[in-house]
Amino acid sequence: MKFQIEDVTVYFPYDYIYPEQYSYMIELKRALDAKGHCLLEMPTGTGKTIALLSLITSYSLSKPETSIKLIYCTRTVHEMEKTLAELKLLHNYQIKHLGPQARLLAIGLSSRKNLCVNPTVLAAENRDSVDAGCRKLTASWVRAMAAENPNVPTCQFFENYERAASAAVLPPGVYTLQDLRVFGKEKGWCPYFLARHMVQFANVVVYSYQYLLDPKVAGIISKEMQKESVVVFDEAHNIDNVCIEALSVSVRRQTLEGATRNLNRISQEIDRFKATDASRLRAEYNRLVEGLALRGNLPITDNWLSNPALPDDILKEAVPGNIRRAEHFLHVLRRLVQYLRGRLDTENVEKESPVSFVASINSHAGIDQKTLKFCYDRLHSLMLTLEITDTDEFLHIQTICDFATLVGTYGRGFSIIIEPFDERMPHIPDPILQLSCHDASLAIKPVFDRFQSVVITSGTLSPIDLYPRLLNFHPVVSRSFTMSLTRDCICPMVLTRGSDQLPVSTKFDMRSDPGVVRNYGKLLLEMVSVVPDGIVCFFVSYSYRDGIINTWNDSGILKEIMQHKLVFIETQDVVETTLALDNYRKACDCGRGAVFFSVARGKVAEGIDFDRHYGRLVIMFGVPFQYTLGKILLARLEYLRDTFQIKEGDFLTFDALRQAAQCVGRVIRSKADYGMMIFADKRYSRHDKRSKLPSWILSHLRDVNLNLSTDMALHIAKEFLRKMAQPYEKIGGSGRKTLLSEEDLEKMGDGGMDEMLY
Amino acid sequence: MASTHVTKRAKYKTTIKDPGTPGTLRMTFEKILFVPHNPKSAGKLDVEFRYIKGQKHTKEGSNKPPWLNLTNNQNGSFIFEFENYSDLQECRDFVGKVLAKGGEVSEKPTVAYPDEQLSAAEMELRIKLLQEDSELQKLHKQFVLSGVLTETEFWATRKKLLDREASKKTKQRLGFKSAMISDIKPSTDGRTNKVTFNLTPEVILQIFAEKPAVHRAFLSYVPNKMSERTFWTKYFRAEYLHSTKNSIAAAAEAAEDEELAVFLKQDDILASEARKKIRRVDPTLDMEADEGDDYTHLPDHGILREGSKEMTESQNELYKRSLSQDINRHAAVVLEGRAVDVELEDTKAVAEALAQSKQKSSNKGESDGDTSRERLDRLSRMTEIEDLQGPNTLPLAPLCIKDPRDYFDSQQANALRSSGDALGEIEQIKCGLSTQEVYGSLRESISSIKAMGLKEPIVKPEVAHQVFDALTNSISNTKYHIGKNPQESVLDRLPRKTKEELLHHWTSILELLKHFWASYPITTTYLYVKVNRLKDAMSNIYPQLEEIKGSVPSELRHQVSLLVRPMHQALDAAIQHYEASMQKRSAQSGERPNGYV
Repeated sequence: MKFQIEDVTVYFPYDYIYPEQYSYMIELKRALDAKGHCLLEMPTGTGKTIALLSLITSYSLSKPETSIKLIYCTRTVHEMEKTLAELKLLHNYQIKHLGPQARLLAIGLSSRKNLCVNPTVLAAENRDSVDAGCRKLTASWVRAMAAENPNVPTCQFFENYERAASAAVLPPGVYTLQDLRVFGKEKGWCPYFLARHMVQFANVVVYSYQYLLDPKVAGIISKEMQKESVVVFDEAHNIDNVCIEALSVSVRRQTLEGATRNLNRISQEIDRFKATDASRLRAEYNRLVEGLALRGNLPITDNWLSNPALPDDILKEAVPGNIRRAEHFLHVLRRLVQYLRGRLDTENVEKESPVSFVASINSHAGIDQKTLKFCYDRLHSLMLTLEITDTDEFLHIQTICDFATLVGTYGRGFSIIIEPFDERMPHIPDPILQLSCHDASLAIKPVFDRFQSVVITSGTLSPIDLYPRLLNFHPVVSRSFTMSLTRDCICPMVLTRGSDQLPVSTKFDMRSDPGVVRNYGKLLLEMVSVVPDGIVCFFVSYSYRDGIINTWNDSGILKEIMQHKLVFIETQDVVETTLALDNYRKACDCGRGAVFFSVARGKVAEGIDFDRHYGRLVIMFGVPFQYTLGKILLARLEYLRDTFQIKEGDFLTFDALRQAAQCVGRVIRSKADYGMMIFADKRYSRHDKRSKLPSWILSHLRDVNLNLSTDMALHIAKEFLRKMAQPYEKIGGSGRKTLLSEEDLEKMGDGGMDEMLY
Repeated sequence: MASTHVTKRAKYKTTIKDPGTPGTLRMTFEKILFVPHNPKSAGKLDVEFRYIKGQKHTKEGSNKPPWLNLTNNQNGSFIFEFENYSDLQECRDFVGKVLAKGGEVSEKPTVAYPDEQLSAAEMELRIKLLQEDSELQKLHKQFVLSGVLTETEFWATRKKLLDREASKKTKQRLGFKSAMISDIKPSTDGRTNKVTFNLTPEVILQIFAEKPAVHRAFLSYVPNKMSERTFWTKYFRAEYLHSTKNSIAAAAEAAEDEELAVFLKQDDILASEARKKIRRVDPTLDMEADEGDDYTHLPDHGILREGSKEMTESQNELYKRSLSQDINRHAAVVLEGRAVDVELEDTKAVAEALAQSKQKSSNKGESDGDTSRERLDRLSRMTEIEDLQGPNTLPLAPLCIKDPRDYFDSQQANALRSSGDALGEIEQIKCGLSTQEVYGSLRESISSIKAMGLKEPIVKPEVAHQVFDALTNSISNTKYHIGKNPQESVLDRLPRKTKEELLHHWTSILELLKHFWASYPITTTYLYVKVNRLKDAMSNIYPQLEEIKGSVPSELRHQVSLLVRPMHQALDAAIQHYEASMQKRSAQSGERPNGYV
């Protein structure tokens, strides 16, 4: 369908539209008109992504004079693929209705590991090995060598791509990662470098958060984006955590040992070069005198993760004299490693601010703040000079330099915490030094500054006023939409008591109580026998989940569950988890039915949809609070209280409830879908906890469902499933319409719209 | 008789009445060759043995000459008259031997003319069918034993039943049990510390399927390196060590005994399989790909020791296997289903069969060219939001049945009312297409077929389904009504005995009518005789039906007569037809039909 929002004709690839999608588009358009940032919360299962994509592409189509680029950030690669698939649908529709003028180029961008098509490189296990494997074949000096000596292996795909030079372009269209790989294989061009190159010309770029937020990556990937771009962070409820993690580093004993090995290797290399090719080192020295800004001229393949946090002006400064020479820099690093080793040998937990830490380094190791700041880039330059290709071996020393640069750059918003052992395992000495960032606004600030419109959107952004404070920005539009439902297709319940009427909770003093564990088991057992297809269970942590599963296994509950459904479990091993998920879907598809045990804050909770028959019921066992005794969390809470006046308790509850909402929200995909959500903890019945849930869940949480025991929940579940199995009218009953057709939108015009939507 | 051929003098007769052509009959294992003495006569014959289905012959001592009748699979026959009975016997034995080699027909000689040759297995199957189905048995007794129908005729209409029974012999394959193998609990004798595990081949197959390393070890160790018993003892020792969750002890034991170590270590085959499989998973689930973009979780980056990230002990990790891994593996194996279909007797056989099936599946896995295509299709299907799309009706015109009773005549009297409903419902379905449109769509599809050839589903499954739904609507309706409310069924209100009798008559009438109508047009005497028999049997039913009517209480009589009426009508129609054709026959009795003897 196509319709008019003010001056923009919106092309929407479906015959109907949800009213909330329509109002979402209106708000989004206002934000774009105002050239400002916005914050939009819309429940999952209402087609956010397609609404967003169709408005922004239509907006740029209607204003051909200003080329608006869309930078769409997803958290995971599979979300990236999903987004691109939706965009493909939209693009086909627009082409059909507008013809060739609607053509656009949309690409997904990911690391070499996901884009490489060279089988020898791809054989490597992890991302860093793939990166290194690629560099071994494509680094400028390797290629120079290969030009003289044909026995030096190079990458055929990259050579072809280079040879094609400016002819190597992608024709317009929507390219998922898979499409890019196929295209690359067909043409014999390297898809990774092709995609990197095409980022500048693409109308839509879809990539991971990290490519904008993590300064190490953002420096190379995102530097050519123009200011007129619209940046979208989808599923952004966790964006503050991503930001602070991007700027946090930790150092352990293994890191220091590895770093020492790396330094030895570097010093050997320096000696070798001195003997054979001293001029290279001298040339590097001269370049460093002029400043680091020259890096931009490096060949694309030599590019590295860039400096974690340097403001632009520093790049033009000359590198301090004391680290310009390679061996001097090496000495500085050795002293730094030595100093850190000393700090790790502590008996007590220590907490320090970066300022005093830098002062202490200065007095003990004689390294001043400015030198620290330049460590990362200096190392980078040195490794290039030494022509080191197996970069995956040098991760440890990179970590150390990363740490040094961060600690030298930021005076506030960070703290350094040294712990001699993990609190939960006091008998195992495992010292760790952590530089943790508390201020999410630091990492995202460059994004807000650089781009005209930043859209932060998710299914759960409640309370919506908290995010502008955490991220320190001023949205021009900040709205939370509810869900208009044709029928009550979600059924949230709060289960406070087990089948024996005793309270259930994962509160610290109750969680290991055998009665609670048994009650949880009984709840699941009852549910697997009445709920068809897929059931997803979320636990508060891996260790709690493993404990509870072991207990169920010993007491035979697990065996009984297996009589009804197959059981799959998320583990920390992503490969295994992915296969488990794949099997879970197969089991749901073939009608066997399955249960998936997952963990709140885990990877599955963040990114995998359990829509339709893949999830008819979600059980959230307990309230997923963070580990409140963790030193880092305490430090962050203190910082939040001091700088933003956010109370500790409030923040913790907010954080736990957004995770819980995130977990249960994965069951709904559209209004034709249905699912139940059980919050199994007595604490959910308290108003202060419950009220933090997003409004679309709260509006369906009836008072009678607030204090249930297992048998009552079972009864409600049966009733609900029976009701949902009946056919229903999709358009919605009398009064409010839940599906709008093109005529409806025309009829509404400007006047009648408001009462229909709100 | 070791000879590979038989040569006899014989006369070849095309029919029984034919005086026959004298000549030489030569039979080899492959073919039958008949060469007439007089080269000018036409009776030359050259038939391959595989076309021969059975043989019949006359008995010594009967007043018939020594005949051998070979029937071929088109029901034709070749009759040879021999000079004496010993020649006949020799040939008969030879034919019997050849046919037995073909494995088709038993040598049971039967004399009765229209009888067919039955293998013992077929006979058994029929007996079994009769035993299982009392109604069938009743019918069989009533008609076959009383001589109304012959055995062959009775079964000829039930070929399907026989077929289905035959195909049923391949049983449904059993899947794996949902219980985990770790649930195998040992039994103790109570006095010593010895425990005993009971392993069935079933369990062993499951162990092999879930733990490829154990499978590989079994294939390489047993029986060359150790006995099967020692093998399993070691296996359970390893399982015990694992269950103690003491990875240090496990490491120590593994260091001493390398075979034990095989069981304790992580399964390397599984790991490599996982790597292969991960390339084929749905891209919307592929969390492994995320690692490629995750720059905050470089080693030592990001925040450690937060609630979500827990420590893993790196030491002795080699010997740690978590319960979750076991559960995942178990569920995956159950889902995959049993690949092996062998009689589970011998462990060795089980192990080898599993190895073979794996080989096959891995070969198959390599040719997965279009799986990625399929994955993408699936992905794009999943991205669409279904309820935002317009009503997705396919062009179809509901079949218009003028009188649904014609279609649903298998329904009983009580179904009439509801099929009347169905008629109403069918009319309610809007005929979305005009005739022109239907014609246009037909033309279009024909031209597309001309252009592209037939595609796999000729009719779109959705369309077929919808049409089928409309048709069967009333059947399910009736069933629904009967199941829902027993009072609505007329039959249920009748006394039990009457009801049974009625049902029995109904089925027997059906059976008779089936045979009756199948006999027309009457072309042979055999059919003629049969029709006469059937007619007699049918006319016997009239008084029986009257009797039932008379026996029921007066308030039900009307209902019963309603039920009986269609039976009467059917019988009347049959008898009318019979009489009419009899008249016709007598009118033109001068002509004899084909094959009339």
